[in-house]
Amino acid sequence: MGSKSDARHVTTKIEARGISSEFATPSGPMLALRDVDLTAQSGEFVTLVGESGCGKTTFLRIVAGLLPPNCGEMRIDGVAVTGPSREVGIVFQRPVLLPWRTAMENVLLPAQVRGLPTEQACAEAEALLVSVGLGEFLDRFPRHLSGGMQQRVSIARALLLQPGILLMDEPFGALDAITREQMHLDLLNVWRARRPTILFVTHDIAEAVFLADRVILLSPRPGTVRQVFEVPLPRPRVPDQRFDPVFAATCREVKHAMQTNGEGEG
Amino acid sequence: MKAVPPRRIPWTGGNVFGPALLFVAIVATWETVVRLRDIPPLVLPAPSLVWGSLVSHTRSGFLLIHLGVTLVEILLGFLGGSIIGIGLGIGVALSPRLRGMLHPYLIASQAMPKLALAPIFVMWFGFGILPKILITALIAFFPLFENTVTGLNEVDGEALELFAALRASRWQTLRWLRLPNAAPYVVAGLRVGMILSLVGAVVAEYVGANRGLGALIITSQGMMDTPLMFAVFVVLILLGVVLYEMIGFLERRCLARRYRD
Repeated sequence: MGSKSDARHVTTKIEARGISSEFATPSGPMLALRDVDLTAQSGEFVTLVGESGCGKTTFLRIVAGLLPPNCGEMRIDGVAVTGPSREVGIVFQRPVLLPWRTAMENVLLPAQVRGLPTEQACAEAEALLVSVGLGEFLDRFPRHLSGGMQQRVSIARALLLQPGILLMDEPFGALDAITREQMHLDLLNVWRARRPTILFVTHDIAEAVFLADRVILLSPRPGTVRQVFEVPLPRPRVPDQRFDPVFAATCREVKHAMQTNGEGEG
Repeated sequence: MKAVPPRRIPWTGGNVFGPALLFVAIVATWETVVRLRDIPPLVLPAPSLVWGSLVSHTRSGFLLIHLGVTLVEILLGFLGGSIIGIGLGIGVALSPRLRGMLHPYLIASQAMPKLALAPIFVMWFGFGILPKILITALIAFFPLFENTVTGLNEVDGEALELFAALRASRWQTLRWLRLPNAAPYVVAGLRVGMILSLVGAVVAEYVGANRGLGALIITSQGMMDTPLMFAVFVVLILLGVVLYEMIGFLERRCLARRYRD
């Protein structure tokens, strides 16, 4: 579909400048995000970590164009975000599948909304489901799929229109540890094959480090960027790297940075 | 995950033997008591007498004519009430302005017992089937309306967000999210509406009708023909079961695969 920039040509995909966001609460407005600057290059895997309530989800919603920031500017491919974009696919915390649709029909939803020819979309949807390991479950209804499988369907759905950006909001938070590790590997495979820019929100430091090129630590209330960590682990990532001293060291760094009280804001 | 409207209750519960045994026991006791105590048929006819009346009036075609009239009233009223209920439900669910405008009137229309309108409907529309169809439609309307609104509005908030992120139009959201979500609610409404339609048509016939099962009950009262009245009760019960099962059939055909198993 939209192959604007050639494969390895690195450009700035997501650019946030001075993003602030307020919530109305019964006791007056509350600042959820303050002056957040963040960029992600095309094809980069960026994870956002922070304690719950640090505005991670709010930030993702702003990138997705579902929520306008109170101030600051969000750009995708250099263009200011004014609403939901077709360049963006979203995976929510819950799979959010339509229970009356089969796995295949759920994946096809974005193509239907966009009015794309069915045969082409079907082929793509099937390929995606196969690539996330659900080739035998195309005609199953969500209630007959495990939580992990449902989340795989929702990943396939987010990728159907080949978006340049994939936003993921704690997508594996509800899964057990073993399923989650498998999901990590499968997600990395899909990412390697298709190379979307991924912005992945989590509060699990090990998950953030294992997946990412860069880990961005947000501090809570109001959410601000505390620190950015490059992950020096080679790719492709393999499960054994979880026992690598470099992995442990990076996790420790992030953990310590999270625990230091960032009042003075260095 | 979410509140799903109640399921259809299969009327035999799958077990035929138990209910059949109970039926025989009740009929036998009834027959025995009536005979032993010599209760006059005007007060309580024995089952054998009811059966005789049922058979002879069915053979003569007398019962079937009245059954046909009532059935037409029920089906047309139910159909009209359902279509208006579902249509208005969709309108109200989609347009807050329309909802604001209609809401007090819809509540008021429910507070008003519709059967109380029967006498004036007779004055306006005569003794034929039209006033009965109108009353039946008014009665069937509300469960359909209410369930449609509920089903369309009780959508998962994150699913709405998904549709927003996909830039789905209001119409697409209605078609692919709200309507499929409402389907089980609407069927539950159809089930209730169908039974209410039966009650509505029969009671509407009490007030100024010369045909139909309700009219027949009034006539048999006038003729002191209690066995005939009981025969009509039997027909009404059978009719109710058949109508209820019709909705069940519809549910199995349209919903079963996608919504539950």
